[in-house]
Amino acid sequence: MRKFSIKQDDRPIEPTMEQIQRNQDFSKLYHDYERLTKRGKKPIYRDPKLYLLMVLIGIIALLLFFEG
Amino acid sequence: MNSQRKHIKQLSEPEIIELAKTDQKYFGELYNSYFKRIFRFVFKRLGGNEEVANDITQQTFIKAMANIAKYEDRGLPFSSWLFRIAQNEVSMFFRSQKNGYTVEIEDWRMKDLCTEGNILGYMTQEDQEKLVGILNEMEQEHLDLIELRFFQEMSFKEISEIYNITEANAKMRVYRILEKLKNKWTASL
Repeated sequence: MRKFSIKQDDRPIEPTMEQIQRNQDFSKLYHDYERLTKRGKKPIYRDPKLYLLMVLIGIIALLLFFEG
Repeated sequence: MNSQRKHIKQLSEPEIIELAKTDQKYFGELYNSYFKRIFRFVFKRLGGNEEVANDITQQTFIKAMANIAKYEDRGLPFSSWLFRIAQNEVSMFFRSQKNGYTVEIEDWRMKDLCTEGNILGYMTQEDQEKLVGILNEMEQEHLDLIELRFFQEMSFKEISEIYNITEANAKMRVYRILEKLKNKWTASL
């Protein structure tokens, strides 16, 4: 919820050039974007459960191949 | 790298937008073109809170970057799409502040509001505080429009582009809110 109040001093509510320049940083934005969108994409070898499952499927496939 | 920058400089904005849809690195050009306006808009809406203004501006551009593939040129300036995202982000921030967030406004802006709304010719400090109290009781959606028109000094055309409505509709909405404000003011006397 926003509330208004009358400003007591005469300073205008405008960002200075210094404030603008200090906050303008595309590389940080790009890095944050990458971090947000790429999160959760762990490589298979870093997920022990998934890794074990893949190995198990591999062994079963190999056994079935040799059985045949 | 320099030749790439030179190449980008030769492109028109719609061309850069199309390239940014498939390669986010081109989005940097749009970011650099519009950062100042969006940061200024958010900064003023927050009454000059630099830290939060930076967070919200970053969030605006991250959302724009994530959704640029869905952006369609409907004849409106690209900036109106960015302002709409920023407007939503600021509203979300206000809603998240359960204990309330105070936005400081200059007294001359209140005078402008009164003149355009035909509420009061001369205002004492007491009148101003009373009017602010009435404003604070109004719906947040109405306050958004008051802010855009009087505190952000946006034209009806710019407001209509943010809300995706006609200019006449934007004007009508603002004047209806002013009428409501005037009625509340008169009732309080």
